[in-house]
Amino acid sequence: MFSGMMKILKMSCEDVYPLISESQDHTLPFSSRMRLKIHITICGLCQIYKNQLAVICRVAKVIGKEDAKILAESNMKPEAKEKIQQWIEKKR
Amino acid sequence: MSNELLEPQKWVERYADMMYRYSLVRVRDSEAAEELVQSAFFAALKSQNSFAGKSTEKTWLFGILKHKIMDFFRSSKNTISIDPTSDKKSGLIKFDSSGHMIQKPGDWKLDPEKTTENNELAQVLAQCLKGLPEKYHRIFVLKEIDGISSEEICNEFDIKPTNLWVILHRARNQLKQCLESKWFQTK
Repeated sequence: MFSGMMKILKMSCEDVYPLISESQDHTLPFSSRMRLKIHITICGLCQIYKNQLAVICRVAKVIGKEDAKILAESNMKPEAKEKIQQWIEKKR
Repeated sequence: MSNELLEPQKWVERYADMMYRYSLVRVRDSEAAEELVQSAFFAALKSQNSFAGKSTEKTWLFGILKHKIMDFFRSSKNTISIDPTSDKKSGLIKFDSSGHMIQKPGDWKLDPEKTTENNELAQVLAQCLKGLPEKYHRIFVLKEIDGISSEEICNEFDIKPTNLWVILHRARNQLKQCLESKWFQTK
């Protein structure tokens, strides 16, 4: 029955799995969105895969917050700034 | 030739640090970031006459910096090339002839909403990121970690959105595999 439904939907896991990732990056066309939704509703494996990607995305954001704290405190080296300043004063 | 609308003598004091951070987020290399800021200031100084005051001095300088970053990524050693067949070859996820997964993905039993509290998992993912190929690493970090828009990434790397999606898809699959071996199988 499962494979029969899959045939009707004409979308295998292999077709769907790049779309699961892609749906995190942009809005899929309506037809792809519907087929993806139907496939995921009936396919436990793709549900797991979708959940895994969501976990990766969430955890990456945690890393991003930590990185942002470090970056916010990063400044250019004073000697590099001094070098550019001198060059600008000379050339302008 | 100087332009009265600009104050080059104050550029370093006003913008150097913010331009440096902007570059550092993208190139992840402090020396390269410094060089980019320097070359942006130099280019700005040389093309002062092109500034007509239609934007602010800051916007104009950042526009020049963005072009320098694009040049950096477009230079031969930093070029992003996509092999459309390598996804099949990489064989991270295997399918049977009818396109169904051969191996069931491991159920991580994690609620994505609650994973933000899991610092240990974040540390493992950070390790896994280091194992990504350079081109995947750079783009994944910009998109998912630094939250840079897809449009901006495509512009900076001179790639099409479809290429970006392919790269992100492959990066996620490699990270998924790495997490399964380094984290979930040991839990």
